[in-house]
Amino acid sequence: MAIGRTPHRTTWLLLFAALLAFAPASPARAELSDLFGPKAVAVTGDLRIVAADGEKSWTDAGFGKARFGGGDDLDWRLRPVATEAELIWQPRFSWTLSGTVVVAAQHEQQHPVDLIEAFISFKPLPDGGTHISGRAGLMWPQVSLEHEGANWQVADMITPSAINSWIGEEVKVVGVEATVAQDIGAAQLSGTLGVFGFNDTAGALLAFRGWAMHDLKATAFGKQQLSALDEEMWEYDQAPKTKPLIEIDDRPGFYGRLALRMAAPVTLSVNYYQNRGVPEAVTHALQWGWNTRFWNFGARIDIDEDTKILAQALTGTTEMGFENDEGVYWVETRFRSAYARLSHRLGAVTLSGRADRFGTRERGTWMQPGDSENGWAATFDADWKLSKHVNLLGEVLHIDSDRGTRVRTGVDPHQSQTVVQFAIRLGF
Amino acid sequence: MRALALLPTVLVAPMLIASPARAGELVVQLRTPSGGVVRNAVVTLYPAGRPAPQAPPQRTYQVSQKDIQFHPFVLIVPVGAQVAFPNFDDIRHHVYSFSPAKKFELKLYAREQNRTVKFDKAGAVPLGCNIHDQMTAFIKVVDTGLSALSDANGRAVFANVPDGPFIARIWHPYLRAPSNQMEMRWSSGVARQIQNVTLGLRTPPPVSSDY
Repeated sequence: MAIGRTPHRTTWLLLFAALLAFAPASPARAELSDLFGPKAVAVTGDLRIVAADGEKSWTDAGFGKARFGGGDDLDWRLRPVATEAELIWQPRFSWTLSGTVVVAAQHEQQHPVDLIEAFISFKPLPDGGTHISGRAGLMWPQVSLEHEGANWQVADMITPSAINSWIGEEVKVVGVEATVAQDIGAAQLSGTLGVFGFNDTAGALLAFRGWAMHDLKATAFGKQQLSALDEEMWEYDQAPKTKPLIEIDDRPGFYGRLALRMAAPVTLSVNYYQNRGVPEAVTHALQWGWNTRFWNFGARIDIDEDTKILAQALTGTTEMGFENDEGVYWVETRFRSAYARLSHRLGAVTLSGRADRFGTRERGTWMQPGDSENGWAATFDADWKLSKHVNLLGEVLHIDSDRGTRVRTGVDPHQSQTVVQFAIRLGF
Repeated sequence: MRALALLPTVLVAPMLIASPARAGELVVQLRTPSGGVVRNAVVTLYPAGRPAPQAPPQRTYQVSQKDIQFHPFVLIVPVGAQVAFPNFDDIRHHVYSFSPAKKFELKLYAREQNRTVKFDKAGAVPLGCNIHDQMTAFIKVVDTGLSALSDANGRAVFANVPDGPFIARIWHPYLRAPSNQMEMRWSSGVARQIQNVTLGLRTPPPVSSDY
């Protein structure tokens, strides 16, 4: 049994080490405005009116796949929600070295304020057509095609796909990555390699709850609610909340990414992630190591300046617990999902539609084939840019899924749910 | 026999004398195959068989940085021109180009406005900012005094052009052609006319969404 370490000390040690490593390579003066000026500090906010029906949300320990669920009788429930506020600090230390620190207050997160990202970016001037860059710290590997910006916000939509909802909630690392990109005429080929720790529990939410669709982001120090299989399990085998950022087995993981941006322009990308978690490793607080690996394939097609298609497909496996005599772990979950999304800008309004498919296959000794899942979702959004600082978004999200695990708690395995949201996004 | 030998000269001479006198306006209307107007295309003219008139670099040109964008998006300058890069933003910019026509970098601190670069070779010079990936612009260094940039209506206007024939070169940062440039030959008498040209453009590359 290992004792897990949270990143609160190590994160800052890594950041400091990276700063010392990079700083001598790029001596330059950092002016006060580069460190604390108006362009170095930003504040964002997200206020919503939400109407949702259907089962209890996973954030309330249910199996509901959306961030918000319906009332007691699964009927419609309307509520205003101050969803999120973030403070973004992006100091520039030199011509090649900058930092990104984001702290957030999210509606359902454990602590009132928590750290979202804290990393250093190194980006020297390109050498001809060769671009080299690096990052080190607390960050998301670049898997999502839907998120952008320092605060990792979904562009033009409120709710990300099932794939990128999972990336946001569980696939966040403390690590170091390097990227090399080479211009080939009007095209560009890039490769990224990263080494990381503190992501040993990636897969816990996905296995116990299944796929979900929401914009909650993993925090450095908080925990995420797991869906209830049974009370006894929570008491003796697995903590009822999972901590996304924890090092349990002292084995670093790695990830890689290849991307080809063609002149068309079509951009194709492929990711591989492997946290090299030890399934038998567990902390005193019952946080387990999950041996999680996945492939992600992405495509972005910019049909014209106003129209784009995004698509991703992700497939992977995770294992947790001890093996039986046949070599089967307590939990062995194979997971896969795919989406395609079309966005079109009409003046100040961007209209988007997305179709998601998702599923899991269980073959462990705790969670067996009958616990598996199949589902789909359709999402429609309108994003109206009212000004440089204010966006108004409206979204209709419908999710339909069959999940065998629901039977354990006396719930019909087939559930469908619709969530209607109106959001005001503020950014200063 | 001698009179016959002189006949071609007699017939052609009035045309040669008359050509410079017919100087006038030439409008090049640039459209996409679907009929949309093409702005920011650079049209340069080279008189066929004659040296191109040279435009002396009489003034200092400017590519400014404001609101984390370059202004203008496309700038035409003659060979030898000095271009100023004033930074009107409150943050630093790291302007660079690694094009064959001009390799340079400028480290511009906030509000630094006194830096210039000399462009002494004809060609296209893409500009970038190493700090802000969304910043893109182009300087087209030309070796002819006959050049024009297409406006918001897709029109490149030459105010005073001697009649052709000309070799016309049309360049656009996203033109579907080798080196983003196409060449065509226009016969004499193009002045006082509208030349309609269709350009196939690529979709601009997406702004990096790295995070």
